[in-house]
Amino acid sequence: MRWGMAVDLTQCIRCYACVAACRIEHFLPMGMSWPRLVAMETGGDSPTVSTYSVRCNQCQDAPCVEVCPTGATYQREDGIIAIDQDKCVGCRYCIIACPYQNRTFLSKDKNQGFFPGRVETDFEKAGKKLYRHQVGTTEKCNFCAERIDAGLAKGLKPGVDREATPACVNTCPAQALTFGDLDDPDSEVSRLIKEKNGFQLHPEYDTNPSVYFIDGKIGFSETSNIKDDSKRETAPTGAER
Amino acid sequence: MEIHEWMINYTRQTEWIDRRGIFLWIAFYAGGLGGGLYLVSLYFNSLWGMFISWLIIAVIKGAAHLIYLGKPLRFWRIVFRPNSSWLARGIIFVLAFVVFAAVQLALSFWLPGTALEIVFKVLAGMAALAVTVYTGFVLNTVKAVPFWNSTLLPLLFVLCGILGGFGLAVIIGLNGGNVNIAVAEAGSRWLLIINALLIVVYLWTAANRETTGKKSVMEQMRGNLAPVFWVGIVALGIVIPLAIAFSSYFVSEVSSALLVTGVACEVIGGLALRYCVLKAGAYKPLVAIAG
Ligand code: SF4
Ligand code: SF4
Repeated sequence: MRWGMAVDLTQCIRCYACVAACRIEHFLPMGMSWPRLVAMETGGDSPTVSTYSVRCNQCQDAPCVEVCPTGATYQREDGIIAIDQDKCVGCRYCIIACPYQNRTFLSKDKNQGFFPGRVETDFEKAGKKLYRHQVGTTEKCNFCAERIDAGLAKGLKPGVDREATPACVNTCPAQALTFGDLDDPDSEVSRLIKEKNGFQLHPEYDTNPSVYFIDGKIGFSETSNIKDDSKRETAPTGAER
Repeated sequence: MEIHEWMINYTRQTEWIDRRGIFLWIAFYAGGLGGGLYLVSLYFNSLWGMFISWLIIAVIKGAAHLIYLGKPLRFWRIVFRPNSSWLARGIIFVLAFVVFAAVQLALSFWLPGTALEIVFKVLAGMAALAVTVYTGFVLNTVKAVPFWNSTLLPLLFVLCGILGGFGLAVIIGLNGGNVNIAVAEAGSRWLLIINALLIVVYLWTAANRETTGKKSVMEQMRGNLAPVFWVGIVALGIVIPLAIAFSSYFVSEVSSALLVTGVACEVIGGLALRYCVLKAGAYKPLVAIAG
């Protein structure tokens, strides 16, 4: 079994719902976001903004696992790359090693509360009990491993049953995110990747990511009316980190 | 929408140089300088040099590493997985050096000339070399940063550390330590020339590695890092010390103040080199974009 995700950029409506869903699911501090929406502007006569939704790729040959000197970052049997927050020393070697820059070090300034120095919201209070974040350690997306584990324990199927499926996938109003078992050729995610030529980011690093992207023109909005790729020029416009 | 360039264009690494990352830069440099000084001091059999190198590694490098860690009280976890990465092995080398050199210093002070002293000199010398070289491996094994992905980096760091070691040895000699200043100066001279050539080759190969590697080089030569590169590495780290070294070679007697200035420039140059290497390390954009 190997959990994986397909991100269909032709469906994504750039609404940031996945980013918000993850923040709510994991009570993420304001200074940190596990999934990110990276946006760029395509040039030409009628520039358009295009985005791609990124998160930890749960690489099967993960450089972050290789370099972690404490073993805090490890690979689970289902392929998810997890972090044992109690073992992490905060050396940030894993952040340096990740070619996709999908990890964040939780420093004090990233954890100052939603309204710093004013009020602690009930949401934040609940988060402290339900999902502990440790300042001084590194974090990243874990494919909502806690939902998967709890769901499997109840006999549910991740990617099919909402209760066992990652929060961003459940929330996406455009159904641009598909989750499931990459080892199962009949799973929805495997089928999509096969039929729509899903591809991994930067295969040259030999990391074998478990997140695939669908769209032959990744990085460009399908609404762009620039036909000649060579004429496309891009300028960064924004990103969520 | 906020304008920035995260992973769309050239994206610099920040964790190991910006803000608290400054401590990692200090730790990396202190390892090279301390290890280099120990090796040079072994050559001259200078007890003062060995003691100062021990202080640089045990106190400055050790403290800088601990201050940098997010969870310093858990630091012991790093040393139990030497097979994991060069960072783990490096910290083991540092601890080995601190222990071996402390024993050697005690033996050299109280039981000089014994076989045990020689054994510990060899052990501490090997650990010092490892401390000097490991930071190069920590960086050059990171495939994601093309600018670091070079076999020349460990060599550059070792030679830069030994160069700093020769420089500090000159100062120890000037203050009455057991160092032959003329030999230390000759060592500095040769290493300055070799280092300068190595830096040129390193930048040349990095610029030809990938677009991102080229951007890293350009960032140093013409971008925001240019003042650090041209003033710190080229002028202070190479040209001025080389001018002083050659004037001492041809004029024979050079004032102590000038020698100390040369050494200070060498140290600043070494710091600037590590700074530029760390600061210019960058990642490829997430997506290959036309245009
Ligand atoms: S995307 Fe980065 S953090 Fe995630 S598994 Fe791969 S290397 Fe590790
Ligand atoms: S920051 Fe934590 S998880 Fe990352 S390499 Fe260091 S110990 Fe491992």
